[in-house]
Amino acid sequence: MIGGKYAEMFALGLRNMRGYKLRSFLSMLGIGIGVASVIAMFATAEGAEREILAQIGRLGVRNIIINSVKPAEQRQDSAGTSWVLRFGLTFRDHRQIAATVSTASQVLPVHTNSDVVWEGSRRVDGKLHGVQPQHMRLLKLDVTAGRSLTEMDNLLFARVCVVRPGLLRELGWFGEPLGHRLMVGEQYYEIVGLLAEEEFTGLTQKALNVDSRSFEIYAPYETVLKRHGTTSIIRKSGAMEATDVQLHQILVEVDEQDNVLATARMIQQILEKFHPERDYEMIVPLELLAQRQKAQQVFSYALLAIALVSLMVGGIGIMNIMLATITERTREIGIRRALGAKKRHIVAQFLTETVTMTAVGGCLGLMLGFLADWLLRTSTGWSTVVSGEAVILSMGISCLVGILAGLWPAGKAARMDPIAALRYE
Amino acid sequence: MALLELDGINKVYGEGEVALHVLRDVDLAIEERELVALIGASGSGKSTLMNILGCLDRPSSGTYRLRGEDVSRLSDDRLSEIRNREIGFVFQSFMLVPQLTVLENVEVPLFYRGLPRPKRHAMAREVLGLVGLAARIGHKPPQLSGGERQRVAIARALVNDPLLLLADEPTGNLDSRTGEEILRLFDGLHAEGHTILMVTHDTRVADRAQRRVTIRDGRIIEDTAVEPAGGKA
Repeated sequence: MIGGKYAEMFALGLRNMRGYKLRSFLSMLGIGIGVASVIAMFATAEGAEREILAQIGRLGVRNIIINSVKPAEQRQDSAGTSWVLRFGLTFRDHRQIAATVSTASQVLPVHTNSDVVWEGSRRVDGKLHGVQPQHMRLLKLDVTAGRSLTEMDNLLFARVCVVRPGLLRELGWFGEPLGHRLMVGEQYYEIVGLLAEEEFTGLTQKALNVDSRSFEIYAPYETVLKRHGTTSIIRKSGAMEATDVQLHQILVEVDEQDNVLATARMIQQILEKFHPERDYEMIVPLELLAQRQKAQQVFSYALLAIALVSLMVGGIGIMNIMLATITERTREIGIRRALGAKKRHIVAQFLTETVTMTAVGGCLGLMLGFLADWLLRTSTGWSTVVSGEAVILSMGISCLVGILAGLWPAGKAARMDPIAALRYE
Repeated sequence: MALLELDGINKVYGEGEVALHVLRDVDLAIEERELVALIGASGSGKSTLMNILGCLDRPSSGTYRLRGEDVSRLSDDRLSEIRNREIGFVFQSFMLVPQLTVLENVEVPLFYRGLPRPKRHAMAREVLGLVGLAARIGHKPPQLSGGERQRVAIARALVNDPLLLLADEPTGNLDSRTGEEILRLFDGLHAEGHTILMVTHDTRVADRAQRRVTIRDGRIIEDTAVEPAGGKA
């Protein structure tokens, strides 16, 4: 019965709002925008966080990735000349890490050869990654058709490869991909497996040593080293650039997540000794994860503060409107008091009216929030996620704002002298 | 035992030099089934007296017993309950809630009494039938004539079957023909056994009462029983 009473007062609140349509709508809009901003901001933050987590998760939290980097200071180009540039990780680095770092369960070398892929007269830039079979598993490069690389391919120096369908499309090959022979540079590789089509951005791209201009081809490590050597020549606009890089990447898998940071430090120490010019970079997904999460947390708090401020502003708007409403409805308050309303009835009436207003405003904000989220997603391409928590939080806060904003006006209404209220013109 | 008894009621607003003594030693007793006219010029204290009688205000001193119970020192909540159950107010300017329909206006006292909706509907319909407004229950007050509005207010005053009907210039905002209708309605209620106190300065209205109480400068200066106008004929 008590519940029924409040349901009635809620309905009455809705009807009273209809009496002051524009005014109520405008003040509800204040709350609505507050709620919408909470939802939109949380959706953006949540989306960004999930993307980062997905990216980092893709790299594996137990992995440490070391890439060769061309040192900046050796770049004293003079056009027309050519020489061989030596930098990057070496076979010795690989042996050292494998031999001394006991917490590393796998240390995998990668040699990448940038070369042109031919199909008839069509050419596409390719990146031939010579990898160990475990590499495919560690970086979750799963084949969707055919098979992955095996240890046997390495032993036999097999000329097989795993590619993405995009490469074949680019080459204009629409026949059966498995068994097709690709010409990479001057070598033929038979396609034995197809990877899923994936797009990488930022960090993942860097860690997987891929770029958007060329296509990856995964081939057995030993085959690539034997067939292509370590020197590669890149011709660009008249100049020739020859580089001699033994390993382009070393991928380390650590036995336990807890040992990742210590292992990274150990590897750092080993590499520092042999590479004073720092021609390598280390990517530790776990560390990045912690950093990103921390940054994300700070960001979330800032968003929450902004959202609370906007809800507070909305609340002040509601309070203002309720004060005006109460002045306008002084006579009604007098009438109700004369007919037997207790002070708490008056408080309850105006409080439910305020909460009704903010709840309706909150629903409005929810719709606006979803709209804003949709607009953000379609116009900017950000991946946004409207989380249940954000919805519940913003609705809860908007009701709380309603109660807080309503308390004072409702108390003021209840404290009115009924006689004076009845006489009010 | 009288229905209500005022004993040495004083009402003072303010303190010290600026104190305004509105009611001075007012004694008044009203029996059940009486129709009393309270007459006084504006500023005579009749509104204050009416507010005290209606439990909207408390006296500064003196006792007010309603059916034997001293209500002059009760809490705000208890006074609200007494207003709800024992007093029916009819005001000069009707005092209906404009956003509510006729039916809902009449239901307001029942709502505060805590009755469930179907019961409230039934009771409100019944009294609206009594005042001849059964056809108008869905209208809102601004759509009604003055006489109709006052009848809604009377229905609302009656809906909780109060001990005392307090009417403050009930015909003050009506033309004489409509005012006459309303007064006839009060006569009918009186005849049915309701106790009515009517505040007025209109002698024609006062003439219909059995008893006239005149107040001036906060004191009752005259309290006479008269033959009702109808009785003279």
